[in-house]
Amino acid sequence: MYLLWLRVAAVLYGLASVTALPAVLGDRPRWQRICLPVTIAGWIFHFVAFVEMLVAAHRLMPVGMHQVQSTLSLLIVTAFLLIWRRYRTISFGVFALPLAFLLILVPAIGPDKYTFSSQMVRNGWIAAHVTLLLAAYAALIFSLLSSLFYLIQERRLKDKQSPGFLEWMPPLDTMDQIAKTTLIFGFHCMTGGLLIGSFIAQEHMGAAYFLDPKVLLSFVMWVLYLVILFVRRSTGLRGRKAVYLSSAVFVIILCVWAANHFSSVHRFTTP
Amino acid sequence: MKILLTGVNHKTAPVELREQLAIAPDRLSDATRALLEFPGVHEAMILSTCNRVELLACHEASSPDLLGFLRSYLGIDPTSLRPHAYEYRETDAVQHLFRVAASLDSMVVGEPQILGQVKESYTAARSVGAVQTHLEKLLQSTFTVAKKVRNETQIGSSSVSIASVAVDLAKKIFGSLEGKRVLLVGAGKMSELAARHLLQQGADSLLVTNRTHDRAVRLANNFQAQAVRFDDLYTTADQADIIITSTGSQEYIFRREHGQQFLHKRRNRPMFFIDIAVPRDIDPEMNRVDGVFLYDIDDLQSVSASHLDERTREAQRAEAIIAEEVLRFQRKAQALNVTPMIVNLQNTVEELRQAELRRAQARLQSLTPEQQAAVEAVTRGLMNKFLHMPMQALKAAALEADTVMLEVMREVFHLPAAQELTQEQARMQTQKQAPEQTQEQSTPRPVAETQTADAPAEPVTAGEQKGRHS
Repeated sequence: MYLLWLRVAAVLYGLASVTALPAVLGDRPRWQRICLPVTIAGWIFHFVAFVEMLVAAHRLMPVGMHQVQSTLSLLIVTAFLLIWRRYRTISFGVFALPLAFLLILVPAIGPDKYTFSSQMVRNGWIAAHVTLLLAAYAALIFSLLSSLFYLIQERRLKDKQSPGFLEWMPPLDTMDQIAKTTLIFGFHCMTGGLLIGSFIAQEHMGAAYFLDPKVLLSFVMWVLYLVILFVRRSTGLRGRKAVYLSSAVFVIILCVWAANHFSSVHRFTTP
Repeated sequence: MKILLTGVNHKTAPVELREQLAIAPDRLSDATRALLEFPGVHEAMILSTCNRVELLACHEASSPDLLGFLRSYLGIDPTSLRPHAYEYRETDAVQHLFRVAASLDSMVVGEPQILGQVKESYTAARSVGAVQTHLEKLLQSTFTVAKKVRNETQIGSSSVSIASVAVDLAKKIFGSLEGKRVLLVGAGKMSELAARHLLQQGADSLLVTNRTHDRAVRLANNFQAQAVRFDDLYTTADQADIIITSTGSQEYIFRREHGQQFLHKRRNRPMFFIDIAVPRDIDPEMNRVDGVFLYDIDDLQSVSASHLDERTREAQRAEAIIAEEVLRFQRKAQALNVTPMIVNLQNTVEELRQAELRRAQARLQSLTPEQQAAVEAVTRGLMNKFLHMPMQALKAAALEADTVMLEVMREVFHLPAAQELTQEQARMQTQKQAPEQTQEQSTPRPVAETQTADAPAEPVTAGEQKGRHS
């Protein structure tokens, strides 16, 4: 049954992505009134599908790439809705909603061929580890998006381009606050996720686990993350340089994600 | 019932005349009551703003002399007023009212205040009973159309004055202006205006500096701001988020290196520089510093001009909406004009009654004149009683705009269609009014040209033709 709810959510996210374009780019209030309720409805269906899926499988965490993608999509929409609630801007919907739609599309077609068969999936700590890291990814995506928006808006204001062009973009200060808040939130999630993961790995596999490329890259990402936070906090870094730093962390994230295929001890999928 | 609108606005009359005609808000109800009591006026409303004074009236066959009302109420000589006044009737009056409320006839097209002013006039007129069935429908349609124009076009979405453009840009940088500090360097009218706008929009505090410190103190007192000595300018400037410069200096006051210093002290928090001075006070290179945004007077004017262009484009879309809505209103009004239907119904039944009486004439001849009068009274009474309910139903259907019900009634009583009635009525009215009202037309024209028909006692002044857009 969860697949049906997931498909409904996918359709609603698709609709929300389409309505986000006139709502944001055309600044049409009528479309904004459609976009938000459709997104919220999609999120509710998605959440129900997520809970139903976990309950049916008698476990606490998503297993397999499809389910992880679906969870990440849910977290991205959650972040989008939280940002809308706090800053009253739906500009991020132009990118976040299509991204959420694309992420949910494959899981909505059908379940994974391969799943993670270990009994550890019923361990609550593993669930916390996965959820926290996915939340960190979602937060970093928004941090990068806000930094990019900041850069574009800054260029636009400096170049004194025609007012109609990219008029929909939120104010610089709002984007800076979103970038900072999501960066800090993501850092806390990532620290918690890595700590929990390290304790579990130490307990079950010993020190060898920490020589795995995926695990090593994860720690590199955490260190780089810490550096960005420190630099931003101490110098008030904004604009181009902040985008470069956020982009660097994002590239590392993608590498960490991709390193799953080269990892011998940390794999989502087993045949 | 017919609609007549007479008035002057910023396009047709100089401010000296408009200020004589202006009616203060506290006198608006009294003035509307006086207009309602004016001969020939059945319903009325007065719209008085700084840019226009307009009298809107519903009347029967003969037009009231609305300029005569202004003469009697305000004591203004109509001969001085007539060349500047315009007059719209029927559909043109409806269209003009829609355009006014939608801010297409305003000095700054798209400004939002006018709709509120029309609503205030409506409230004042309603409070004295000057708005009833016809004006109520017209004004409700007016408000709906104005709202539709605002929702479906971007006519009022962008600022066009230099000061409001500056405020908009500041908001694009800082979001909310709450807690932001403004520094005014030098004193000029436009910079003061921009500072005032920024403070009104929530800017927290204002610092003022000038080469002549006394002048800075005077200006600071006006704004309840803090005066800063000009020598302390470079040590204070980094405390301000927005700096407005308008000095008479021949050299740059702020250079790129100043911007870099300020940003370093502010830990890269952005700064917005507005340079209104000519020659400029700020080196254009300052804009290259990360986190500094510099706009000079030309930049602001260029933004304002693009906003104006945008409004002009949107105004064309708004005109199309209004044309469509006027047609819709006209069709609705035609469908709801049930008076001819009622008259036709009464005539038909009266003819039937007379025919029956003629048929029974031979048998009634033996009756005494008193008895015959009683028969006449009884048949007439019966006719009126039978007609009472259908006529009430027709009126109720008209009030509720129930066109289906009207059509059913028309079919049941074999009445001619509303359009046929309107044409027939118009023909009869033309025949009836031809001798004395040949010049009374529904096309808009200056009052001076129509005055022969409306107020023959007044001398006619040759006024130039004032189109709607003049």
